[in-house]
Amino acid sequence: MKLPHVDRKRFEEAVLPQLDAAYNLARWLTRSAGDAEDVVQDACERALRYFDAFRGGDAKSWFLTIVRHACYDWIKRNRPAEIAPVEAEVIEDAADPAGLTPEQIVMRDATTAALDEAIAALPAGYREVLILRELEDLSYKEIARVVDIPIGTVMSRLARARGMLQRSPVLHSIRERSAGRG
Amino acid sequence: MDCHETTALLQAYSDDELDPVRSAAMERHLIGCAECAARRDELAKLRARIRNEVPYYPAPQPVRARALAAIEAATAGPARPRRERWGWLTAGALAGSAATVFAWFIGTAALEWQATSDIVTEAVANHSRATLGNRLVDVASSDQHTVKPWLSARLDYSPPVRDFKEDGFPLVGGRLDYLDGRPVATLVYKYREHTIDVFMRPVDSGKPTALRRPTTLRGFNVAHGSAGGMECWAVSDVNMDVLTSLVQHLTSTAS
Repeated sequence: MKLPHVDRKRFEEAVLPQLDAAYNLARWLTRSAGDAEDVVQDACERALRYFDAFRGGDAKSWFLTIVRHACYDWIKRNRPAEIAPVEAEVIEDAADPAGLTPEQIVMRDATTAALDEAIAALPAGYREVLILRELEDLSYKEIARVVDIPIGTVMSRLARARGMLQRSPVLHSIRERSAGRG
Repeated sequence: MDCHETTALLQAYSDDELDPVRSAAMERHLIGCAECAARRDELAKLRARIRNEVPYYPAPQPVRARALAAIEAATAGPARPRRERWGWLTAGALAGSAATVFAWFIGTAALEWQATSDIVTEAVANHSRATLGNRLVDVASSDQHTVKPWLSARLDYSPPVRDFKEDGFPLVGGRLDYLDGRPVATLVYKYREHTIDVFMRPVDSGKPTALRRPTTLRGFNVAHGSAGGMECWAVSDVNMDVLTSLVQHLTSTAS
């Protein structure tokens, strides 16, 4: 793939500072270090092809949009079962990671790994807005741009994602605290 | 604002996305309503836990290397802009009687630019070598009273060392590097998962440094600051606003 018209310096300045954010998003969406590496590589190649369409401005949102598409294409190819419609009411049950026994729950809760497992178990549509908000510190407007949904939907998905975490069985220490207020 | 509305807008409030009018209305409601205040506290607790406990995955070295390789493979090289610059210079030299003065001016500016860009290049090279390898710090400590004497004992000057943990830039240690042919004190700060290297040295009174504007080199941002007879270059992959904010802290407290 030769793209001699791409201004290399401009491209590097736009994309290289976003590699951490790109990898973090890919890592949380694919839930695998090796797959995230391939996805970021794919996203870089796409970004080179689409760079003509980038008019300057918010390079982070622009590149993360590409990374996100690369993630979903990868998931579609390799684990199609994971793509679930986020609007469906049933997915709230999906936040419960595959049938844990109470002992396992207690064991997991003893470690801080519980919280990342609970997030990793969120449906992708909720997981992505949560990661972009809490770990990348993106505004609602930026998230709306990356995920291509209205700002109101960003807000409701964040609310649902956080609600699922608060009710998640692997995080009952949070639940206990909230139950105590009755 | 009632409980129903408060519950609906609590997320936006917590995310700092509410307009000032509704934000103030919500604060008034939260003072009077224990149940909504408890909901706010739960949300704050959850968010604090996410930010403190959940890992951020910075791009590992192979990702960076593969990205650079992809760019290398796709682009024909950086030759074009340079040729344009020379063309412009040539036109300037041919422009008549002012050309000599003009060329002298450009020549001096270019020399100065060359000197600072060497320092910037070296600083970025030091930073990437340290972050890619495993020698991030020579002395690991968040205590300025440990880092400062360690550096002072190995240099012919004593760099000011301050921790800015409260401002989001915890000091993680110090390191010795070479810059401009001389040993230099490197202070290592963190910002979230990012590493920021600050190269600190006395201002060389003989040759004032030309770089005052922040610059970007190979994807790394570089910001310069000076105060109290010291000057510093901060290098990192964090965005420029964050980097200049650290430089402001450094220069406002340098003694």
